[in-house]
Amino acid sequence: MSAVTQVDPAIPAGSTRALEARRPLGDRSFHILALGCGLLVLVILVLIAITTSQQASSWFSAEGFKIFTNNWNPGANQFGALAFLYGTAITAVIALILAVPVSIGIALLLTEVVPRQWARPIVYVVDLLAVVPSVVWGLWGILVFAPWLQHIYTHIASGVSGVPVLGPLFGQPVDGASYFTAGIILAFMITPIVTSLSREVIATVPAIDKEGAYALGATRWEMIRGAVWPHSQGGVVGAVMLGLGRAMGETIAVALVIGSSPEITSHLFAPGYNMPSVIANQFGEATGVFRAGLMGLGVLLFVFTIIINMAARGIVERSARRHRGA
Amino acid sequence: MHLRRRRRVTTAGFAVVAVALAACSSSSSTTSTTTPSTTSPPSSAAALSGTLTGSGSTFQTDFQEAAIAAFRAVDPGITVTYGSGGSGKGRTDLSSGVVNYAGSDSPIPASELPDFKGKKVLYFPVIIGPITMSYNLPGVSSLKLSPTVIADIFQAKITKWNDPAIAAINPGVSLPSTPITLAVRSDSSGTTQNFSLFLMTAVPSVWTLGSSSTIKWPATARAGSGNGGVAQIIQSTPGAIGYVDYADAKASGLHFASVENSSGDYVAPSAAAASAAAAGVTVASNLTFHAVWASGATAYPITYQSWDLVYADQPNANDAAMLKAWLGYLLGAGQKLLPELNYAPLPASLDAMAVAELSQITSM
Amino acid sequence: MAVTAEPVKADLREPAGWRRTKSRIATALMVLSFVVVIIPLGFVLYTVIAKGASVVGWSFWTSGTIPPNVLPLGTGGMGAAILGTLEITALATVMAVPLGVLGAVYINEYGGKGALASVVRFMADVMTGVPSIVMGLFIFSIWVVHFGFSGLAGAFALGCLMLPIVIRSSEEMLKLVPNSLREGSYALGATKARVTLTVVLPAAIGGIVSGALLAVARAAGETAPLLFCILTVFTPNYNPFHGPDTALPLQIFSNASSPFVGAQGRGWGAALTLIAIAFILMIAARLITARFVRYSR
Repeated sequence: MSAVTQVDPAIPAGSTRALEARRPLGDRSFHILALGCGLLVLVILVLIAITTSQQASSWFSAEGFKIFTNNWNPGANQFGALAFLYGTAITAVIALILAVPVSIGIALLLTEVVPRQWARPIVYVVDLLAVVPSVVWGLWGILVFAPWLQHIYTHIASGVSGVPVLGPLFGQPVDGASYFTAGIILAFMITPIVTSLSREVIATVPAIDKEGAYALGATRWEMIRGAVWPHSQGGVVGAVMLGLGRAMGETIAVALVIGSSPEITSHLFAPGYNMPSVIANQFGEATGVFRAGLMGLGVLLFVFTIIINMAARGIVERSARRHRGA
Repeated sequence: MHLRRRRRVTTAGFAVVAVALAACSSSSSTTSTTTPSTTSPPSSAAALSGTLTGSGSTFQTDFQEAAIAAFRAVDPGITVTYGSGGSGKGRTDLSSGVVNYAGSDSPIPASELPDFKGKKVLYFPVIIGPITMSYNLPGVSSLKLSPTVIADIFQAKITKWNDPAIAAINPGVSLPSTPITLAVRSDSSGTTQNFSLFLMTAVPSVWTLGSSSTIKWPATARAGSGNGGVAQIIQSTPGAIGYVDYADAKASGLHFASVENSSGDYVAPSAAAASAAAAGVTVASNLTFHAVWASGATAYPITYQSWDLVYADQPNANDAAMLKAWLGYLLGAGQKLLPELNYAPLPASLDAMAVAELSQITSM
Repeated sequence: MAVTAEPVKADLREPAGWRRTKSRIATALMVLSFVVVIIPLGFVLYTVIAKGASVVGWSFWTSGTIPPNVLPLGTGGMGAAILGTLEITALATVMAVPLGVLGAVYINEYGGKGALASVVRFMADVMTGVPSIVMGLFIFSIWVVHFGFSGLAGAFALGCLMLPIVIRSSEEMLKLVPNSLREGSYALGATKARVTLTVVLPAAIGGIVSGALLAVARAAGETAPLLFCILTVFTPNYNPFHGPDTALPLQIFSNASSPFVGAQGRGWGAALTLIAIAFILMIAARLITARFVRYSR
């Protein structure tokens, strides 16, 4: 027992500094490499924020708060983008209204209703929905779905013409390519993510609460309302917000079916426009302030989705943490 | 040791990839060779080699693609690609140096001139063609429209097909009460520019939306990308009307209206009517002109044109030579491709002026 | 006084009347929501297969140049676009997967419960939600403006999209590797790098590969980032590092707004090809999970 390392009295007992100093070079460089790759995520996010804002700066400085006016006329050098913010909000809201009940229904179906062996095929089917690329949704949407929807819209519009609230919402003008069509297709696209996240959240409800409810004589629906819902409320809200973030950012399918009309209208069956679509459609030919404006819309989109995603993940994590001990 | 050996291999691999990246990025995009080609036609001296990229006007797309395919037999060493994204995109790509030539249906507007940083741009007119008023009205196969009616339709002052203004100039045609859906361009377009110029020239008191490659259309207008996109909207939407270039409208099987010209006659769009319109235009020294609202009894009033824009000063001799060969083809043998593509060829005098301008392409 | 209460009869019948009906309605609604999801999915897949099957074929997949939109079906095909998709996706995978796996290694092996690791994990989650168009704009500002359009720029954009997905799925897989494996290796005197590379990664490799395949499937179908990075052309570009390129999703996008039957048909064919590629990758991922994943939840 001769080769005993001399302990350096300067290093407090129990610290690993001596060991750290003896790590072979390969081990240390691997650590640094892994650290670098981990930090890459942060670096990329910061770079996105910086470079896109830089490119967009001339729009912000040229328009100031006028970017929130409904005045998009590149030919006349006017770049008020309210119509796109409106369109993004409307299509996302429509998508959520349609997708959230369906997704929660499927999640409940998977966790509470179907026997274990049927759950797998149902999950596969929902995942298939996610495999279809956005551009194929758009291709099908504009060539097949929109013309079919136009007939339906026309019937609805003639039915509600003159009715106070429904008329302005669902009346003429109608077009197959419209806010509502975009909303429907977005609903198809966000269902998988909201479903899978809701399912994860609902699955963490402790079995003892559910069994307790059944033991007290509750029906399945009463058990869901009484035992599952209070536990998973927060997580499901988080899942919905993630769906919202996805719906706001989805570009190609929406660009093909939204009708490309940069105007604000209450008519949901009329053509409209939203932020990612206008960027995709008009970026190629834009120069100067026009391009900066489209970049600026990208910056706004980035900021909104980051905020929504951070809030959503925070909510999901917090509700998971709160109930983990139960 | 196993780990060390694996690490050596990966470092070697990275080095190889790095060297390959450096090599690829430093190789130039055009290689100039002057080896005589075995199938060179008598007109070209030595076979050139390289790539030319163009982008812009969708009006030119069919012509560009047909000419590119035919040109491969003439000069197999030159690969030409044309990406259509609208005249505005073409001018943007040219000013950012991404392409060698731009297809544009209108001269560079004053607002875009600064992007070209004072460098001289040459205009080579290549095609003439009508803009059709295409519509989709089941049961109505012939329609007449006057500039006033067109202006009112596209400003959403006339919203139904059986409006008295339309019925007045179409006696004997039973028009349904379908609402009118407007089909317009979503991208910055020379077709839009020329269509709006026609309305501004013909009925300035009625048309208030000005003339530009993007127009603030009424809120109910549905926009499509490229002439093809507008044609698709009209094709799939009963009650739609829009402005589509003749070649695309014919190829999509759309119906188009006869439009009243400056002499008061209702003329249907056709290559002959477009040539009649182009015959009397006044051409500026840089070969720009406007063929809309031309005079002549058989002239189609919404006729327009498209140019290929190039910088007069090319970065190297090979680019200059290739552009001369390509543009020379478009202005020469390529013009023969036009009739079956439903375009009108350039009037002979204009063609001669364009060919003469080729000599102004130089390299530094 | 003795309380002689009668034994309470427990009513063990199912709750009758409105409560039971409410529960049945709720169950029916849940089943209905699943049906509501199947219908559009079936519709889309049926349409793509029906319209695309008559178009695809060997010549469609290998034909060099993409014909002009006007031309009818039967001439030319999407070979150039398929080549572009394969090139760009392969480049993106080569960049994103190693970096992503190493990032997951950092979070799981080196970071542990530290603040930096949880920040990185959180931000990787957030980054999965960044819209693909923003990635495209980012690479445009930082690369294309200086170096021009190229397949490489498209690969960067797709790589940025894939990175957080790979990080998160790899991290989940690494978490599942039992600690006893690591401890055993440490006991034998291995350094942390050695343990990670020779013990932990091989143990998790099935799950990592499967997660990477799913990320590749997602990237192959993305259009928006490529719009700004590769400038759609119609001829194959064999050098992804230089010059504009094309890809399947871009061609579908441009053909979708075409009025010509030929172009629309080619669009359907390309859509079928793209779905088939994504589907094959998904099946491969599931097969690998079934056969090679050693540790699962």
